[in-house]
Amino acid sequence: MRIGLRLTAALLFGSHSFAAAQTAPSTAAGAAEPAAIVIGAPSWPSAQATANIIRVVLEDRLGLTAEIAPMSNDEIFVGMDGGSVDVHPEVWQPNLDALRKAYVDERGSVRESPRTVEASQNLCTTREAAEKLGLRSVADLARRSTAALFDTDFDTKGEMWIGDPSWTSTQVEKIRARSYGYDATMTLLEAPEDVAMASIDASIAVGRPVVFYCYRPHHLFALHDVVALEEPEHDPAKWRVVLPAEDPDWLAKSSAPVAWSRSQFRIAYATALEESAPEAARLLDAIALDADTISQMSYAIAVERKEPYAFAKEWVAAHGDRVDTWVKEAKQ
Amino acid sequence: MTGARGFDLVGSRLLAAAGAVVLALAGSAQAAKFFDPERRQWVEYDTNRARDAAQALAVDPRYERQLVEFRTAELPGTVIIDSDAKFLYLVQPGLQAIRYGVGVGRDGFGWSGIVEVGRKAEWPTWTPPAEMVARDAKAAQYASGMPGGPDNPLGARALYLYRGGQDTIYRIHGTNEPWTIGMNISSGCIRMRNEDVEDLYARVPVGTKVIVIMQGPALITS
Repeated sequence: MRIGLRLTAALLFGSHSFAAAQTAPSTAAGAAEPAAIVIGAPSWPSAQATANIIRVVLEDRLGLTAEIAPMSNDEIFVGMDGGSVDVHPEVWQPNLDALRKAYVDERGSVRESPRTVEASQNLCTTREAAEKLGLRSVADLARRSTAALFDTDFDTKGEMWIGDPSWTSTQVEKIRARSYGYDATMTLLEAPEDVAMASIDASIAVGRPVVFYCYRPHHLFALHDVVALEEPEHDPAKWRVVLPAEDPDWLAKSSAPVAWSRSQFRIAYATALEESAPEAARLLDAIALDADTISQMSYAIAVERKEPYAFAKEWVAAHGDRVDTWVKEAKQ
Repeated sequence: MTGARGFDLVGSRLLAAAGAVVLALAGSAQAAKFFDPERRQWVEYDTNRARDAAQALAVDPRYERQLVEFRTAELPGTVIIDSDAKFLYLVQPGLQAIRYGVGVGRDGFGWSGIVEVGRKAEWPTWTPPAEMVARDAKAAQYASGMPGGPDNPLGARALYLYRGGQDTIYRIHGTNEPWTIGMNISSGCIRMRNEDVEDLYARVPVGTKVIVIMQGPALITS
């Protein structure tokens, strides 16, 4: 999911409106000061929250200088490998497994926090649509009569958003559609998340059924009453995912007629940070967040429009005890 | 924006947009024509269907300007155009929006994406495309531009939509009664009642983010 999202969105569609806010205010490092710790920040809302929490904790509790640089997943990993970036706030699994394999396992230039946040990826619909239309499972979408309920352009096929064109998960969703058979009954739409979320907002406003790729934690679940469609549990034996970068015939060679595996994300940082700022590396390992907290943060930033840095300052101040445990653990 | 598919502007959904035009045509059972500048050809449509759709649009209270609940993460001030439902939302604080009824083509804008209001004009000048001038005597007299006014098809106000600092061919504009020239239905544009477009114009500054959404043919398809 989300590789290159920010650049794509910015170039083609205009970046999300809080993108500008995420970088300011930044403390410029003077010539005599140690280099600032650079936190790469992907564009999705929860990453904005996590990145800013990390920044504030590093600044307020360790007295370090930190700054946030908006960039894509690829850019962050390359930057951590090359020394221009220190931290990735949310490395999603299994989405970024290829990058993890390259930089964590093989090159050893990136370390990962042992602490993870539970996440999930599904297809979602509104609770109203699920109840009124009887849409319960992903497999239902392969039925023409069911798919037609989501038809908005009168071609008898339904329409569904499967993600941003640049996200890895979008390619996986194509595989899943083909595996379940709803690639023949549904038109798979790719668009920036801004457009998709606005489309979902508008559909729900008029009671129009909608089905779409969803992931959590995400503020969407606080904004709307949506439910995940049922599907067979993840089975590694049935999950054969070949990505376009790996093989031109990737789609034909792939099959994934089951749910995503349990997803999670974690902080990652440049291995070099263990030498240049070992206290920061230890603190990054100690930061413990959870899905509910991330969802609340995401909602505050994306929906309530709180400025990310100011919000992070407030959050850290209001959760001093929790932050204390991280700092204490880091110093042990 | 993502993959324009062209502008097939014939059909009831489009004609619902053409309020004033089709009222002027009421009673006629004949096919009328409009010029589609994107495809550069004349397209026929059924005036009876147009009239019915326009009347439905005119009397349906859903299309009256109104404040509605609208739960979104977009900032207040953002414009969201739902081509499928024929609503334009101006996001307000407190998870609300001002909702306007709009007319769109059968395929709406023909695309979805994010643009911005790059320019605004009161009583804008309308210049018919060359192909229209060549074929339509009424249009020919305005070859160098039809001044803004009650007969101008762009209506009382126009909001010009830009992408990356460049003008697109898309506008949000008003309507006039009666239409006196052939281009009854503009391609890919959002048409509003004059009183509504005047209201929107007063509320929306240059630089406003505009999200055009359309489930159907508009987004990138795999």
